[in-house]
Amino acid sequence: MENLYIPATASEPEVDFRFDTHSLTLKGESFPENAAAFYVPVIAAVESYLAGRSDTTIQVNVTLAYFNSSSTKMLFSLFEILNNAVLSGNIVVLNWFYDEDDDTILEFGQEIADDFAALEFRPQALV
Amino acid sequence: MPNTAVPSRLTATRRSASQVRPGINGRSLAGHLAQNCPVASPEDTNEQVLHLFSEHQHVGALPVVENGRPMGIINRNQFMSQLAKPFHRELYARKSCIAFMNHSPLVVEHDVSLQDLSFMAVANGEKALADGFIITRDQQYIGIGAGVDLVKAIADLQAEKNRLVMESINYASVIQKSFLRSSREDMAAALNDYFMHWEPRDVVGGDYYYFVKHDDGFFCAVIDCTGHGVPGAFMTLIIASALNQVLKETDLHNPAAALAEVNRTVKQSLGQFDGGRQGMDDGGEMHSDDGMDTAFCWVDHRSRTLTFAGAKTPLFILPPGAEDLEVIKGDKKGVGYIDTPMDYAWENQTLSLKPGSRVYITTDGIIDQIGGPKQIAFGKKRLKKAIMECASKSMEQQKAHIMDTFYKYQGEHLRRDDVSIFGFRLD
Repeated sequence: MENLYIPATASEPEVDFRFDTHSLTLKGESFPENAAAFYVPVIAAVESYLAGRSDTTIQVNVTLAYFNSSSTKMLFSLFEILNNAVLSGNIVVLNWFYDEDDDTILEFGQEIADDFAALEFRPQALV
Repeated sequence: MPNTAVPSRLTATRRSASQVRPGINGRSLAGHLAQNCPVASPEDTNEQVLHLFSEHQHVGALPVVENGRPMGIINRNQFMSQLAKPFHRELYARKSCIAFMNHSPLVVEHDVSLQDLSFMAVANGEKALADGFIITRDQQYIGIGAGVDLVKAIADLQAEKNRLVMESINYASVIQKSFLRSSREDMAAALNDYFMHWEPRDVVGGDYYYFVKHDDGFFCAVIDCTGHGVPGAFMTLIIASALNQVLKETDLHNPAAALAEVNRTVKQSLGQFDGGRQGMDDGGEMHSDDGMDTAFCWVDHRSRTLTFAGAKTPLFILPPGAEDLEVIKGDKKGVGYIDTPMDYAWENQTLSLKPGSRVYITTDGIIDQIGGPKQIAFGKKRLKKAIMECASKSMEQQKAHIMDTFYKYQGEHLRRDDVSIFGFRLD
């Protein structure tokens, strides 16, 4: 399946989903006016990538400095799908990048780790 | 003269009459930019064009028209520099003026919108802005339009649209504020030392607060509805009506029960039931997944207790003389969203408060704001530090210090969200 690349804008993150190397990267900030319009196609692409997949190690790299509450809901949908992928026999590593002084983002990552326990959560402090 | 005289690829496609819509100020079509100016014909010689240019010093570009059809534009400066070349005057003076003419200027029909025209002008390169463009009606020349007039008309149009939008939003803000009035009045009557800072990012917004005074205490809520700006403000009105309905019938001494009731009401009014999912349905209709994060509190005078039920919103408490603020976390479920079950039960936490205790509730707008040298979130730590720096001051003075710290931290960065913070001191 084809890789998905969406360049970042001021209010939307860069999406660099390399399905061929099983590496999914989100980077930037996320506060689009209509979060669903942005994320629904992104999530759909991940769903079709995961359909029927097993025995794959998927690296998910998230470096987000800000996301609004509607983006949060969409991110949760994304992590839920990835969490389910673990239950169907894959390994999903969530590399959660945050600035070493940014407690807000670290806390959010920990919440995701609590809610989606099947993900292998690896917080990565950026110095 | 065959039709090919007008380079067809540059001629704007004429729209049918039904497609032509007058602009908001009635002057937003290309035809409105048409100016009368001297016109040359292909029979005119360069000598005659030179004469025309010297007679009309203000004319920078001269259209060439044959039998009513535009052929091209002669640019004054280019014409003059061509003619100034050695022997050119002798060679070309008596020849047709089309020698130095731009054969492919931008030609537009009079009923092309200014917006379409501006895109065509940009696509055409600098020439259309420098030399202007030819305006036609049924392919017949009617005048020339100047690039500078086009830029000005577009700027006016933009300013007018902005003005209308801002006028409408400013009035929406009057309506939104009027929904907050009774809360403000009750707050002032119930509290001696407090502040309520409400600052929507875009004049109106999705942050909201609610305050009701009773004889034995008061109920307060600080609410962050999804979204900001106009959609956020819509949500606050839906929430306000749910609150009014629920809080009349529910025991305010039990904030968790009130949250559960608001959750049911919002889910019903937005049709956000379990099992649904945000996105497009088969008919291409967008489903909403909206709701609110909030802290509901009941403060009881007699027992000096605060009962708190939080939906993704913490409470900050500063007992008198304490060295740091205590953070009381809320529940992790928001209110009204699709994935919050219809019968979800929030929990009450009851805290005993000493006289002089200070309580703060804020939406995520302050904590999540990006700023500072590292461009990271303001965070809880900075908020707590700002409060502790003025811990013994009046609440009004605290507000000034907290917001000042916040604005300095935000600096040149864009405001990301609506900002609300409520603080009060118990007597």
